[in-house]
Amino acid sequence: MPEQHILSVDNLQKKYGDVQVLKDINVSMEPGEFLVLVGPSGCGKSTLLSCISGLTEVSSGAIQIGGKDCTHAEPANRDIAMVFQSYALFPNMSVERNIGFGLEVRKVADAEKKKKVADVADLLKIEHLLHRRPAELSGGQRQRVAMGRALVRDPKLFLFDEPLSNLDAKLRVTMRTEIKRIHQATGASIVYVTHDQIEAMTLATRIVVLKDGVIQQIGTPHEIYNTPVNAFVADFMGSPSMNLMSGTATPDEGRIRLEIPTPQGAPIELVDTTTAPEVFPNGPTEVLIGLRPEAMTDQKLNNGQNLQTANCLLEVVEPAGADTYAVVHLGGTEAIARLSADAPVQAGEMSPITFDLSKISYFDVTSGNRL
Amino acid sequence: MRRTLLQSVFLYTCVFAVAIFTTGPLLWLVTMSVSAPTDLTEVPLRWIPSEFDFSRYGALLDIDGGSGERFLSALRNSILTAGGATAIALFLAIPAAYSFSRRNASMVLLFAFLATIMMPPITYILPLYSTFSSLGMLNKTITLVIVYTAMLLPFATWLMKANIDVLPLEVEQAAFMEGASTAYTIRTVVLPLALPAIAATAMLSFLVAWDEFFYALIFTNDLSAKTLPVAIADFSAGRVTDYGVIASVGVLATLPPAILAICFQKFIVSGLVAGSVKG
Amino acid sequence: MFGRRRKQEKWILLAPAILVLALITLTPLANTFWLSFTDTRISALPTPVRFIGLENYIYAFTDPEFRDSIYRTLYFTIVSVGLEGILGVAVAVLLNQKFRGQLILRALIILPWAVPTIVNAVAWRLIYHPDYGALNSLLFQLGFISDYRSWIGDPSTAMNMVILADVWKNFPLVAYVALAALQTVPGDLNKAAAIEGAGPWKRFWSITLPWIAGPLMVVMVLRTIEAFRVFDIIYVMTGGGPADSTKTASFFVYQEYFNYLRSGSGASYAVLVAGISAVLILFYYSNAKRQASGATA
Repeated sequence: MPEQHILSVDNLQKKYGDVQVLKDINVSMEPGEFLVLVGPSGCGKSTLLSCISGLTEVSSGAIQIGGKDCTHAEPANRDIAMVFQSYALFPNMSVERNIGFGLEVRKVADAEKKKKVADVADLLKIEHLLHRRPAELSGGQRQRVAMGRALVRDPKLFLFDEPLSNLDAKLRVTMRTEIKRIHQATGASIVYVTHDQIEAMTLATRIVVLKDGVIQQIGTPHEIYNTPVNAFVADFMGSPSMNLMSGTATPDEGRIRLEIPTPQGAPIELVDTTTAPEVFPNGPTEVLIGLRPEAMTDQKLNNGQNLQTANCLLEVVEPAGADTYAVVHLGGTEAIARLSADAPVQAGEMSPITFDLSKISYFDVTSGNRL
Repeated sequence: MRRTLLQSVFLYTCVFAVAIFTTGPLLWLVTMSVSAPTDLTEVPLRWIPSEFDFSRYGALLDIDGGSGERFLSALRNSILTAGGATAIALFLAIPAAYSFSRRNASMVLLFAFLATIMMPPITYILPLYSTFSSLGMLNKTITLVIVYTAMLLPFATWLMKANIDVLPLEVEQAAFMEGASTAYTIRTVVLPLALPAIAATAMLSFLVAWDEFFYALIFTNDLSAKTLPVAIADFSAGRVTDYGVIASVGVLATLPPAILAICFQKFIVSGLVAGSVKG
Repeated sequence: MFGRRRKQEKWILLAPAILVLALITLTPLANTFWLSFTDTRISALPTPVRFIGLENYIYAFTDPEFRDSIYRTLYFTIVSVGLEGILGVAVAVLLNQKFRGQLILRALIILPWAVPTIVNAVAWRLIYHPDYGALNSLLFQLGFISDYRSWIGDPSTAMNMVILADVWKNFPLVAYVALAALQTVPGDLNKAAAIEGAGPWKRFWSITLPWIAGPLMVVMVLRTIEAFRVFDIIYVMTGGGPADSTKTASFFVYQEYFNYLRSGSGASYAVLVAGISAVLILFYYSNAKRQASGATA
């Protein structure tokens, strides 16, 4: 039903010469969604946003915005607004004129323009800045002005291109909250590009993970985090990222026995009772076993029956305030276990680690796909 | 590294020599312009004037005198010609530069633009002369303005293009996203950002037009359109017995470009360097 | 921005500039080319135009006067641009040193460039004056000459004197380009070479000069193109004389057109001169392009 979709991208391809930067992109979003495009640099997320904005022409495929075909429409005719990475404020104009520029172009009457600008300034708490020039503003203030310029026209769709990447770490968190607040206050439909998976997790109602111009997974932050479709998504999303340990999975009497080799010689043996053994129809299988750091802990977890404990050698211990991270050499990788802050552990010692196998993921060794 | 005394002496000797070589001829021109006529015909020369005689400047700036009229009308024509051509050339060059910078116009075309001004003027002069003559446009300021516009246009386009290239693209994209047309974007966003570049380009263009001699020589023949360079060549070729007059005309004609060059040195030098080196 | 609109806008924005250049340069160029195959003369009365094929060119190629004017132009070009290059680099190296008054000297260097070409010509004509010129007086008072000489009245010295005047006006451009390039030479490079035991002279030839060679080459070729069209300074200083000793190609064509009123044959000379210029211009572009791509690489 295209008319319920505020945005729908169908079979979109983008080539620069022989280089295909976007392949078969299919995405749609409902009104009011906060859709985050995330992926490493060069994955095509910014190109996709640029195609949606109309600043870049697509090679093939279709783009509908608000049920209207916009594939070949000029940016101005798409009823969208964009917040740029560099904010792209007009340096020669006051904040007020910057925000009202779109209205000025559309020849909106002065009184109405002034009112709309004032309303937006009020929402963004920048009323006192209206007569300044962009050069006289701090990074966070510029960010607000850029959002104000987008908000004032009340377009169908907002596009954000890495809007927080030029801010320092602390301000980034503040502005992240601010963007979330505005989204909740206005119910705006937003497409947001970032390379920062924490931003993606915290802001999105749905996340699109891209790699090499191909969509890897579309899902809610919860789905993406808990059931990544492949090793790439598992590794990319979450910080620290999911531990991907090589091991052997053997179906055995309705359960799955796991062996994870350690450098110390004896492998760690675990039994997974949550996953259906049919995942491994061919008997013992080499797999990538995915466990989030919080599923490897010293804490007394009581969220399921599937808890097992094994003694592991802690190679490095990194206290991080709220938690303590411990590096454990498991299955050919430096797995990270998330221990409680006051865990009485020391590097170089053996320590019991509790594995929460209810959160386990299996990936094919060669393809990396979820099993 | 510290210099030895010998190195210092050598360095400052060179500095002194360069300073003398650069300024000597000009200082002498100024000296001649204020020397008494008899000082200038002494053999060997009297280097320091016996008296400072500013009467020639007075005469040149007096519209009722013969040489004053010649000089002042040439000055007026030069200002009109160079100013008019600079304004029109920039007006045409800015959209063209934008096209080269932001609309992917071919660099080969830009090279072709530049090639037109690198050709010797003798390649164009005769057909232009015949055309303007048949249109009754010889000896008119407007004719020189037209020709100078064509002469300034490629360089101005080139300089503006190089300057638009470095403006932030996202700001223009933002304007397009907000629904502004290309013309509106150029006017309200690009031009204000490019203002320093426009000023530098205007200055360099004005100086080039101020300096032009060949077209002016061919296309003008009396006070109504002759520019300063032609007037100066006339002064110099005429039967002027007082060389100081020629010198003072030269000094006056040099003042505007020299003042611009000194005051806006950074601007001009960077424009010159960019204009002559980058392709 | 989409394909079709982009393309439309590209040409709309370019159109006025292209129109002006087509009318003022392209059309006359084509016209000159056409004229060169005719026996047209400049005359108050309409005269029939006769197409005479390559006749003008055949004459031009065998005309010793034209050939001499080309040689003179080449001499003028090579010597003056060569001297401008040497002087320009030397002055740039000097200006790149630290010394008291450095900024003042840097500012002073722009003055010769700012002097209009015609004023430059007039000033040097006065300086070279056989009876009352400053050069004679200076050299006499310093004891270098015992008799006043007619510097630009003597065919053996006239051209070199014109060259001196041209060099004085144009070396600043080369100096500024060279200075800008010198300021990008990494100091570490020179220090490293000094530690390796390379003396200043060796460092200049093996480090500094290669570093600035690119931009320097481009500006020298640009100056070559300009010098090759030399007219103004000749017109004022010597009028092509004495005994045609300073009659350069542009001046030759000018006379053919406006003194002898032979526009047909003049046009053929003009086309030949333009052809040489075109070769220089192509050379300039290939250089400038290499320079530009090297700078971004």
